[in-house]
Amino acid sequence: MFKKLLFLMALSLLLVFAACSNDSESTTNTNDGDDSSDAADTELESVTFHFFNAAAPGRDIETKDTVIGEMLYERTGVNFRLEHIVGDINQRIGTMVAGGIYPDVIVPDAELPTLMDAEALIPLDDLLEEYGQNILEAYADYLHMFRHDDGKIYHIPFGPTVNEFVPNPNIDQGAFWVQLGVLRDAGFPEINTLDEYMDLIISYAEANPEIDGMRTIPFTGLTYDWRFFAFSNVPNHLAGYPNDGGVMIDMETHEASVYADSEYAKEWLRVLNELNANGHLDQEMFVMNYDEYLAKLSSGRVLGFFDYGWQFGNARNAIRDAGNPDREYIALPVVFDGVEKDQYLDPPAFVGNRGIAITTAAENPERIVQFWNELITEEMQRYVMWGFEDEHYSVNEEGRFYQTEEQMALLENQDFRQEFGMTVFEWNWPRLNGSFSDGNAIEARRQPEVALLAYRDYEKEVLEAYGVNTFAEMFAQPDERPWYPAWSITIEQGSPEHIFQERSSELLRRHYARIVLADPTDFENEWNDFVEAYRALDVEGYENFFTEKVQARVNGEW
Amino acid sequence: MSLQQTPTPVGTSPKMPAERPTGIKLFFKKCKEQKALLLMSLPFVIWLFIFRYVPLYGWTMAFQDFRPARPLLEQDWAGMKHFVFLFTDPRFFEVLRNTLAMSFINLVLGFVTAIGLAILLNELRNLTFKRIVQTISYMPHFLSWVVAAGLVSAALSVESGIINIILNNLGLIENNIMWLGVPEYFWGIIGAADVWKNVGWNTIIYLAAITMIDTEQYEAAEIDGASRLQRIWYITLPGMRPVIVILLIMNLGYILESGFEAQYLLMNPMNMDYAENLDIFVLRYGINMGNFSLATAAGIFKTVVSFIFLFSANSLAKRLGEARLF
Amino acid sequence: MKFLQKLAGKRRGIDDLVFDSVNVVFMIFLCIVMLYPMVNTLAVALNEATDTIRGGIYLWPRSFTWYNFEHVFGESQLMHAGMISVLRTVIGTAVSVFCTAMVAYTISRKEFVLKKFVTIAFVLTMYLNGGLIPTYLLMRELSLIGTFWIYIIPGLIGVFNLIVIRSFIEGLPDTIFESAKIDGAGEFTQFFKIALPLCIPVIATVSLFVAVGQWNQWFDVFIYNSHKPELSTLQYELMKILQNSNASMTSGNAASAFTQAQGGVTETVTPQSIRAAMTIIVSVPIICVYPFLQKYFVKGLTLGGVKG
Repeated sequence: MFKKLLFLMALSLLLVFAACSNDSESTTNTNDGDDSSDAADTELESVTFHFFNAAAPGRDIETKDTVIGEMLYERTGVNFRLEHIVGDINQRIGTMVAGGIYPDVIVPDAELPTLMDAEALIPLDDLLEEYGQNILEAYADYLHMFRHDDGKIYHIPFGPTVNEFVPNPNIDQGAFWVQLGVLRDAGFPEINTLDEYMDLIISYAEANPEIDGMRTIPFTGLTYDWRFFAFSNVPNHLAGYPNDGGVMIDMETHEASVYADSEYAKEWLRVLNELNANGHLDQEMFVMNYDEYLAKLSSGRVLGFFDYGWQFGNARNAIRDAGNPDREYIALPVVFDGVEKDQYLDPPAFVGNRGIAITTAAENPERIVQFWNELITEEMQRYVMWGFEDEHYSVNEEGRFYQTEEQMALLENQDFRQEFGMTVFEWNWPRLNGSFSDGNAIEARRQPEVALLAYRDYEKEVLEAYGVNTFAEMFAQPDERPWYPAWSITIEQGSPEHIFQERSSELLRRHYARIVLADPTDFENEWNDFVEAYRALDVEGYENFFTEKVQARVNGEW
Repeated sequence: MSLQQTPTPVGTSPKMPAERPTGIKLFFKKCKEQKALLLMSLPFVIWLFIFRYVPLYGWTMAFQDFRPARPLLEQDWAGMKHFVFLFTDPRFFEVLRNTLAMSFINLVLGFVTAIGLAILLNELRNLTFKRIVQTISYMPHFLSWVVAAGLVSAALSVESGIINIILNNLGLIENNIMWLGVPEYFWGIIGAADVWKNVGWNTIIYLAAITMIDTEQYEAAEIDGASRLQRIWYITLPGMRPVIVILLIMNLGYILESGFEAQYLLMNPMNMDYAENLDIFVLRYGINMGNFSLATAAGIFKTVVSFIFLFSANSLAKRLGEARLF
Repeated sequence: MKFLQKLAGKRRGIDDLVFDSVNVVFMIFLCIVMLYPMVNTLAVALNEATDTIRGGIYLWPRSFTWYNFEHVFGESQLMHAGMISVLRTVIGTAVSVFCTAMVAYTISRKEFVLKKFVTIAFVLTMYLNGGLIPTYLLMRELSLIGTFWIYIIPGLIGVFNLIVIRSFIEGLPDTIFESAKIDGAGEFTQFFKIALPLCIPVIATVSLFVAVGQWNQWFDVFIYNSHKPELSTLQYELMKILQNSNASMTSGNAASAFTQAQGGVTETVTPQSIRAAMTIIVSVPIICVYPFLQKYFVKGLTLGGVKG
């Protein structure tokens, strides 16, 4: 028995050495352009490219295995084998660049400069001129925003706004949220200032010390790990600015200023400090993790909080499933007293420093551009965003797209979206934003007809009470900010600005918690401690960096 | 190549020659005598050299502003910049203190509990029960820290945490404690969590050590009327001693590795002064910023500290007449 | 009490009685503490994802579903990846343990002329790390990238395991080896016929360490083989599914919260529920294989018979 085992071991050892000596198959990328038998198009030799997406995880499939991908395959003969990132992007791209082993097409996310540095990407100008007229047309107003220093185009960002900008009828951005029941109880009052908001929830909490047998939590917030920004961004929103990333940009002078140690921040922390002193703040606000936060929201005992809509979608589903509309959350445009209007809604934004690119490893890059050129047509974009007419959406007499309840349910199904190809193509590929030439929104979720139909009775009740059609209408329209968003300004990895951001976020995490939880008499001391520590960083250098970049953008230099 | 061939009997038994050649001559003579041993180890020394020592040329990165796009010798040289960044960071000593403290606590707690549990398991008379307990005890090891930290956090919750509920019912505390909100508790929490997760797993090696103890010794002791505790003290523990000492020396070399997942996941704005350790620091300013140079500089620093601890511990063990690493 | 007595076994005096009882009670307590996480994880894995968000799942699922497992097993790659995982675990463990034991044997021999050199050369590498990129470049030069052997060769010998085995061999009585030598046994024979069989407990232990390490590994797949789907492993595929579940809740689909189908509970997954299902899927094989190795280090081994 033991001998057998030994023999096995020796054998496998032998195997290893034998195998490693001859298994030196080249690992550079291969375009296996030969599984073409099923391609309908006989003119074009079919080709499969390796597509690496470093921006988001996803399912590693071939594009031609989706309905949309197959249509594109039939038209262009091009197929992509998708690979999505799993671990740390810096490690993956770092080794990729050092080793010089590239995929054909890459979405490098924030690592775009690393690939540029390695000269791994090919310039697209000539290819676009020859094969990508649709792309050039769609991105016409934006081309200057993503040309590199040598004046050439190396990557194509996502979502230029074409035709009309269509605002999102629902709030998936930041807002102060409050339970519907609290609003109804108070007779749907107009809530605009932070004081009004806090008074509202506190008086409800005092009248209802328990919800479903659990102690009522008037106010809480998300502070875990990197999600801390959902807490530290608040002063900016209260002051009437959109999320520009750590700085406020003056509308007139276009000067950038940090707000972490501004009077706005101090006032926000003071309000929380007071809440805490009166026992109205969730005592676990600074210790709970993300799951615990979601659990707390789902339990229905939290009356209000600030957060970005996309961060608690799961909690919202859980509340909805529980079936008590009074516990669902409604977004309110809360600002400081004296602030003219809120700016919670994002202005039309274009992120120029992210995108999709072709590497030097790709043979026949023109095929890729042809594929993109086909993908960006209105017809294909309609398939990607809406599906097939009558099957996945319907059109009324005025030519407006809408979804019936069944269609809506079908499109909600993640498996369907995956198989159809919507999941694959809706982002991280050349795509449109705004509206089609017939006026319908590119994205179904932005189409008012779709949003309105999805509202339930109790949501309609709220909308009616406030005399609006959509939740977004409760918020002020975004002002024009030609530089927006400042957070898309490229900050070089490891640069002083990058290090400032890291240091500053660490200081904020440490000090904000202390300031809020301090005894009100210590509030000033704690605040001053923080300001001192914060000002020890190179705040000015950081502000100047942004001022310069924003002003350049205003002048059309991106 | 086949390793199965039986060795020729020539020269495999190293009998000391009467006349002692010296220096290199002696060395080669011995080599010749020990052909088989050399054959068994040298291929792996070559493997070791290629896979473990060759990549060390990457240490040059610590003195450069490394950019992955360029070959190693065409990088911009940065001198000691990254070491300076590391050592002059205002939080460096706090980070180092946390690292050492947590590492030390984990080391001591980890050893004591694993050895203790191994001994207690060994004292169980019912073999099936012993096996079941042992299997169950190592299960938490297979949870990822994300899952484990979630459970720890839930157990320590102020309102519904099991720890507070138990302490309350026992009348040990009046007000529930916000365990993760008190910075001073953090090291202890990490230590306890680490024991809970890994004690069963760490026990395995000691159990193996105990099986190597000759059972005759126990029988003899029983005849002499030794009590259970005496047997543990005079037979079991000494029997495990070489393994304990060796593991201790090796782990002392890892004194700057206090792990980072548990700390990272249980860290929050209230306890971060005691939570952030070297690995988290390097993660934030090195890996997350694509700064391979800083990560390498930190690695070199860790290696230096490791070597100091390793050699000190080893020579101490030597002086005390204990088993040693080399 | 009877039950306790049975577990505690025969005893000889009042001291023993106290000791055994305390010990058994302690062990039962320990089992509860140690079993809870797995039970809880199983409950979460079998509970509806959206319901889990509300918290409060302890021992039983509140809203039972197989959907989390269905979702994970719905990935067509999974079976193939599982096979690769098994292969790398079996081959990797066999090869590694054999090589490690052999080197351990040589450095356990007091007379070995390179004993100190080899030992130190290995030990130092425990604390040396050239870094990710140089290692990657080395693998590229050796043409190991994109091959199965990248899972086996770079981790051929674990230094920790090497030292552990060595110290066990050193713990064997010299007399056994001496008498073998007198019988004319060479080093290979001594290694195979004496060192290995007598070190079964530690070989089993080390095999377990290596196997679990191989089974759980995903980083090498990520760095070296992520462009080769045919060499993907179970852990790596599960990581993908997990990260995917993360993405589906945060990506542009925020509208789904509003436009969700009227009434009815949508079947969905969350990172929390997928992670739980994953934990169960990867732990079960290990827990199943465990008893076979366990018998070697839980039951005592008598050296008496071989003692010279």
